[in-house]
Amino acid sequence: MKAARFEHHEPTSVSKAVSLLESLDEPTILSGGQSLIPMLRFRLARPDTVVDINGIDELDYLHEEDGYLKIGALARHADVAESDVIAERYGSFADTAPLVADPQIRNRGTIVGSVAQADPKGDWGSVLIAHDGEVVATGPDGERTIPIDELFLLPYDTSLGESELITEARVPVPIEREGSAYHKLKRKTGDYAMAGVAARLIFDEDGRIENAGIGMTAVDITNARASDAEELLEGSRPSADLFGEAGELAAEQSNPESDEHGDASYKERMVEVLTQRALGDAAERAGVIKRRVSP
Amino acid sequence: MSSETGDVPVAETEYQHDDDGGPDPEKHHGHGRGGMGEEVKRKEDKRFITGRGNYVDDIKKPGMLHCEIVRSPHAHARIENIDTSRAMDVDGVVAVLTAEDLAAHDLATMPTLMDDTQDVLVNEKVKFQSQEVAAVIATDRYVAKDGAEKVEVDYDVLDPVVTARDALEADAPLIRDELEDQEDNHIFDWDVGDKEATDKVFDEADVTVSEQMEYQRLHPAPIETCGCVADWDPGKDKITVHLTSQAPHAHRTLFSMVSGIPEHKVRIVSPDIGGGFGNKVPIYPGYVVAAAASVVLEQPVKWMEERSENIQTTGFARDYDMTGELAATEDGIIKGVRTDVLANHGAYNAVAQPSKFPAGFFNIFTGSYDIEAAYGSLTAAFTNTAPGGVAYRCSFRVTEAVYLIERMVKVLAQELDMDPAEIRRKNFIQKEQFPYQSPTGWNYDSGDYEKALDKALEMADYDHYREEQARRIDEDADKLIGIGISSFTEVVGAGPGKQCDIAGIEMFDSADIRVNPTGNAVLRVGVQTQGQGHETTFAQIVAEELGMDVDNITVEHGDTDTDPYGLGTYGSRSTPVAGAATAVAARKVRDKAKSIAANELEAAEEDIEWDRESGEFHVAGAPDRSITITEIAASAYMNHPGAEEPGLEAVNYYDPPEMTYPFGSYIVIVEIDRETGEVDFEKFVAVDDCGNRINPMVIEGQIHGGLAQGIGTAMMEHVTYDENGNCTGGDFMNYLLPTANEIPNFETGYTVTPSPHHPIGAKGVGESPTVGSPPAIVNAVVDAMAHAGITHVEMPMTPDRVWESLNEAGLALDPRQNVNFEFEGGASEEPADD
Repeated sequence: MKAARFEHHEPTSVSKAVSLLESLDEPTILSGGQSLIPMLRFRLARPDTVVDINGIDELDYLHEEDGYLKIGALARHADVAESDVIAERYGSFADTAPLVADPQIRNRGTIVGSVAQADPKGDWGSVLIAHDGEVVATGPDGERTIPIDELFLLPYDTSLGESELITEARVPVPIEREGSAYHKLKRKTGDYAMAGVAARLIFDEDGRIENAGIGMTAVDITNARASDAEELLEGSRPSADLFGEAGELAAEQSNPESDEHGDASYKERMVEVLTQRALGDAAERAGVIKRRVSP
Repeated sequence: MSSETGDVPVAETEYQHDDDGGPDPEKHHGHGRGGMGEEVKRKEDKRFITGRGNYVDDIKKPGMLHCEIVRSPHAHARIENIDTSRAMDVDGVVAVLTAEDLAAHDLATMPTLMDDTQDVLVNEKVKFQSQEVAAVIATDRYVAKDGAEKVEVDYDVLDPVVTARDALEADAPLIRDELEDQEDNHIFDWDVGDKEATDKVFDEADVTVSEQMEYQRLHPAPIETCGCVADWDPGKDKITVHLTSQAPHAHRTLFSMVSGIPEHKVRIVSPDIGGGFGNKVPIYPGYVVAAAASVVLEQPVKWMEERSENIQTTGFARDYDMTGELAATEDGIIKGVRTDVLANHGAYNAVAQPSKFPAGFFNIFTGSYDIEAAYGSLTAAFTNTAPGGVAYRCSFRVTEAVYLIERMVKVLAQELDMDPAEIRRKNFIQKEQFPYQSPTGWNYDSGDYEKALDKALEMADYDHYREEQARRIDEDADKLIGIGISSFTEVVGAGPGKQCDIAGIEMFDSADIRVNPTGNAVLRVGVQTQGQGHETTFAQIVAEELGMDVDNITVEHGDTDTDPYGLGTYGSRSTPVAGAATAVAARKVRDKAKSIAANELEAAEEDIEWDRESGEFHVAGAPDRSITITEIAASAYMNHPGAEEPGLEAVNYYDPPEMTYPFGSYIVIVEIDRETGEVDFEKFVAVDDCGNRINPMVIEGQIHGGLAQGIGTAMMEHVTYDENGNCTGGDFMNYLLPTANEIPNFETGYTVTPSPHHPIGAKGVGESPTVGSPPAIVNAVVDAMAHAGITHVEMPMTPDRVWESLNEAGLALDPRQNVNFEFEGGASEEPADD
């Protein structure tokens, strides 16, 4: 790697990081380096200064607290993959973690870093959308929360303020009769998603869908919400046909582009397939239905 | 040369194998000294797995400068001006070179391996994206890159042409306008076989089939990219170049020819090489620039490619657009094969193939089958893409030939509704037909194709999977089963001087064995390992032939100052050629050892016998009167017979009489997801026959690696370009290579059919899996959809391509078609069934 010259800062607390962000000229934050390192290598990123947050121990956490699953900015993909709490109650997170990049990158890359990068091909943004999650941004004026739907603006562009740092991502702790899942289609380990769909379903006591969340990966300019499908699902009872229609609506709402890895029409069709699969898993994990594959 | 002097003509038979399934290590290889057939652990692995390898980029010399190449962002453009002044202002930049500077040293152009002339740095016109435009020499690699960014080049952008088909259109832009008499982008036409006889067979055939298929552009993608450290010594007027080279001696000759430095003043060293696969056969502009800079600046200069430079500019492979046709009787006897190829050679004709045939060994497209008539034609074209055409883990276009014939046999089987195993069996060249003269001029040495196929069918549980396949079709299951077969024949061991040369140098290879007074030995060879395990397997040949322990033999290679001249390692030629030279040289040593033994044992030389089992010499009829090679070595230096020179060493330069023809049958069973088009490998069986086997474990490793590359080829890899000539597959985010996660469990097997003309009966093997597996994989995917009329899927078989075929055949499935939901806990009275 032959990056252009940059200054490297390694703060040990959030407050120091924020003051560095405030004082430096157009600083770039380095957490796991999953995206930044390749960009430095290609010199697509040429920051004068890099604020490396890996030394901020207070950001290294992954736990449930105050009704949220809280993911600190230094929680790595591998931490999610290895967490018992995740394995027990967060189907979509457990599905996603082992599908991100490759094992080496999962040991280093962070969930928050992936979200902050706002790459439409990132997986975690879709999961946060499905869970109605939010991020905590810390800046010179203290903390504020940004709902996930208000975070992504454009590819690689967020509503984060100039001297702000995302210190945490969080989603509500699952309640009774809730289930979630993530399905991702990729060509190989380490490859980005051709398409991915995260789904979360909450059922009422009668077995009707009370709340549905669907986030889509790599099929629009940002991670995107399949709101038409969510609307269709809410208030209905799950069925193969209902999920099929939801898949169709999600596909209609997606806007994939053709590239080396797949044609746009194929990706749309895959949104339809993956939505059905994710909804089926989510419903099953909520303990409401059992799926039977025939024959 | 041995074949001429007649001292080594035929395979010795002592370690040949059982006829019914290969070697019995207990029975044949119990010497315990690490000779033929023993699973000796690789000697080279200690340094690699303990991090003590020494690759080109590990080499650091005092005062060493670094070279960064400025590359064109355009595929086709005239250079109007190059301004280097801002680059020279960068602190640490020592020099900026352009074509003009090189011209002053007569180094502006270099010959390709096909006698074309390539700009080292672009002279007037850029002909492919990322072509070398200027070079910055600086004190470290970061500064060199900073400097490269400051070189300002004005381009007049021209229309590019990217595919061979478009390049041959009448109104296509002329790429090579600097060549006199070049009025279009056509390079050459070539044909082979008897056109008239073949056309007649097709006219009269019961059945003919035809299929168009593309063997996509691939890159060998070794883990180590290309590079060098050039070090001109003005005191000795000598240049030493540490080079990522598969052929250091041939590169020394070429370096000398290009630079004008006499050959004895050029030393090429190939240190540890991190994979080559054909990518490190050609000479690249970066090498020439670094060498020129070192001579001018009188300082060592390192040039090391970045990954994307490697993929985008150095020797690609394949890129053949092929039409295949077969003519057959109703009962499946193949009477004729015809093929027509459009070959994309890129901006220069820089194909790296040393045969005397313009399309390499593509003319072996009759494969494993006894076909009456064959005719092939090929047209090669220039395009605005990187030059290349290296033999990526294969013998010079044999991969394309095998793909063509093995695909076509499957197409024919489908047309005739015959089992693809059965149709192969009907058409195989029979065991007793060897040596077999093919209709396109090849002389196959040995084979037993049916035996390998039978073994593979048994290992694959073929009949069971055929039943399972039918069951799934009957039940409209959501996953389909496909079974693919490839019964390939390779042609390796380049090669006989009559067929192969590099710059006129015939493709012999060499071995030099020196036995030391204390009984150990150094073997030097002219071939160059890049992971093949030569340091182990070549030592095993010596151990076998001299009765020495394998641990007492060191194998050296890669330094042109000390090793005997050889043509390098590619095309699976090391064992067929240098392995033969090693056996012959060892036998020469053994002959001399015999006369020393006679002297020591006080017997007549004709009464001395060598016992392969014990590795000792003894007096005939008196096994107690024996002497070991260690004792003989001491005597050679301390008590040599009067009639002999002191010392114990021998050299052999071996010109192979023929190529060797390894073969095998691979069976691949896939499961296809009808909803997504994803392909999973259910079973992967590979039965190989490479004649006598030196080290079964090394062979197994070679097969595994090659199969992984075959999977990459069939499923993922493709160097793609957009219509503007931008390389869109030029990094590992877009050029996908399989990882261990994508590789299934391989079940390997073997048969043993020795080569009759090779001194140890061995054939090459390293490339069989890359050559043989892609058609087996494609045949499997096609087979899964054959019942619905699919006859071909192009490589790489991405999920969307497979899904397109499923959709076209009416096999694509929507999840709701095969999923039902049942409610749990009685929350609802209604079933959510469809």
